[in-house]
Amino acid sequence: MSAITANDVSLASTKQRPDSVIEIAGFTPEAAKYSRIFDFLVVFAVITLFAGAIHLHVMLTVGDWDMYVDWKDRQFWPLVMPISMIMFPAALQSIFWSNFRLPIGATVAATVLLLTTWIGRYANWWVWTGFPFTEGVPSQMIAGALLMDFALIVLRNAVLTAIFGGFAFGFVFWASNYSALAPYFLPVEHQGTVASVADMIGYTFPRSNMPEYLRIIERGTLRTFGSSVSWVSAVFAGFVCIFVYYAWWKLGEFASQATFLKNNRSIMSYMGLRDADEAGQTAKIGGGAQS
Amino acid sequence: MMRISVFFRLALAATALVVCAVTSALAHGERAQEPYLRTRTVQFYDVHFSKTKVAVNEEFEITGKFHLMTDWPDAVSLPDVVFISSVSPGPTLTRVATFLDDEPARQSFSKLELGRDYNFRMVLKARTPGLAHIHPTVSVKGSGPLVGPGQWIETTGVATDFAFPIATLTGEHIPDLQTFGLTNAIGWHVVWVVIAAVWLLFWLVRPLLLPRWIALQKGREDALVSMTDTAVALSLTVVVLALIFGGYAWEVQRYPYNVPLQSGTSKVAPMAKIEPGVTINVSDATYDVPGRSMRLKASISNVGPEALTIGELTTANIRFIVRSLPSEMANVASDYPVDLIARTDLKISDPSPLKPGETRVVQIEATDAVWETERLVSFLTDVDSKFGGLMFFYNDKGERRIAEIGGPIVPTFTELSAATQ
Repeated sequence: MSAITANDVSLASTKQRPDSVIEIAGFTPEAAKYSRIFDFLVVFAVITLFAGAIHLHVMLTVGDWDMYVDWKDRQFWPLVMPISMIMFPAALQSIFWSNFRLPIGATVAATVLLLTTWIGRYANWWVWTGFPFTEGVPSQMIAGALLMDFALIVLRNAVLTAIFGGFAFGFVFWASNYSALAPYFLPVEHQGTVASVADMIGYTFPRSNMPEYLRIIERGTLRTFGSSVSWVSAVFAGFVCIFVYYAWWKLGEFASQATFLKNNRSIMSYMGLRDADEAGQTAKIGGGAQS
Repeated sequence: MMRISVFFRLALAATALVVCAVTSALAHGERAQEPYLRTRTVQFYDVHFSKTKVAVNEEFEITGKFHLMTDWPDAVSLPDVVFISSVSPGPTLTRVATFLDDEPARQSFSKLELGRDYNFRMVLKARTPGLAHIHPTVSVKGSGPLVGPGQWIETTGVATDFAFPIATLTGEHIPDLQTFGLTNAIGWHVVWVVIAAVWLLFWLVRPLLLPRWIALQKGREDALVSMTDTAVALSLTVVVLALIFGGYAWEVQRYPYNVPLQSGTSKVAPMAKIEPGVTINVSDATYDVPGRSMRLKASISNVGPEALTIGELTTANIRFIVRSLPSEMANVASDYPVDLIARTDLKISDPSPLKPGETRVVQIEATDAVWETERLVSFLTDVDSKFGGLMFFYNDKGERRIAEIGGPIVPTFTELSAATQ
């Protein structure tokens, strides 16, 4: 008897259990259509808002390293760039995953940053000031961001994603960018001294108020590790990224909270509900609203 | 209606301001530098531009000397790390070679000496057609660029004709530094954007925000992320890792002899010191604000073996010259920027040659509107109101001797007080 009952319940559950997200949400076809329009509006807002915000953040924190090809040294550049660049991707991952189970936050951040950066290179650097593109080849973090999103969907845990995804983000920054930048480290001779092609580009096309000494580049190799400076930096960048990632994940959680203002006459007046209140009706706004 | 009209007028006025009031910035605010930076740090002299009109790809030189003042301001970092450069509005000109006392100057120099002179040479190559104001500059770490006299350079030709070819030590010919490696760099970026787009579209084609949020609230995570999604992510992980490390290995094999960015500073000896043969002791210095005149009372002693005549006072690239002295005029190049030469002669109470062993108290007066136009009078608002400059003396053979001059200066703000000085 009990077995039959359980089977019946199971069958009934299977029949009633919808599989599509729209059905689960209980949307009518028309509601689904408007929901889709809402999706597009939000996607547009996310792209424009975060493209600007991430670009500004990176420019303010590590802008020179990202802007100039002759600042991309093998010791500090692989360290400072990912540590700064992981912040917004981690926060966006938190927002998209915690609220929508979308493992795309990091990739969104990395992609809009690269697109915005190239727009800046074209508009500001080439059209406006005439610097050649070679002087401003930017770095990209899409490779690391993809790995971070993949880690999240596989591990489904913020701490584990910080350890594996965050580390991967920092660690692969050097390798994934070296592919694009390797030709700029070819050696040339200039005035009887050795220089890299990147050095020559920075020297040839003057940045009037940016003297050579401003470049904070390595002053010598790490003695213990010989010429493997970049990989040491990459490992350390990955290590630091673990903690930065988790801090910004928490910041993303905090920023995506939905909070409600307690209802009162002022708030209601802003919403055009004062008359209703005065008529003695109760207007409830949101889950926590009370008059 | 009235409101609209006012608003419309304001908008029209704002538009007119934006459209009409904007002019091209051809120079770069060198006059905005504080006078104490320009009068008491680096004194440029003998600056010469080999050409003032060049074609795209044509080279020209800026040569000259500079003296580092002994009375270096406390507010300015000492010239412990210095970079010799040119200031231009963007990369309208490109640098080909730079020398400081004949030493290669692509990198910075350390520990330049106060009270000493250095000569520099820059080889530049024209890039962007148009008119550009170009300066030599000595950048001091901690203080910024200290600019020398500017010259207008006119570049003719077509911008797209410019190219900067170099050869690498590995035997590769680079036809143009402006475009080298871009195809490779942009190609890699496109690859990453395409993979990112695939991953994003994989998710964006599904219902996104509201239905997923509601489903999550209902505890239906199973409908939001499937095992297939995870499998796709794992597959793409392999692809991404292969691209990262495969691409790295490929580039390492392609360019096995890469070098890191070059760093470190060079050292250079100053020019051989030539004793000026005179000592100058300024006992009184005033700046007459309404009269735009600097008046000095100085005791000058000739401690050398030859008679010397005052020919010039120079400070902040401004030259107050004695036009009646042929030796001085021989040192004023015809192409020196006219706006940097005072129209009024340097007045000396007794301009006759100072004999060996003689000490003479002279009144020197440097009067010109250039004090105002070059915005040098605001040195009166400095926390230590001092002036500085170089005095040029000439012997009877026309040889020049250079001595520092400087000290405290007192402003006079009224014509009455100026007249009583």
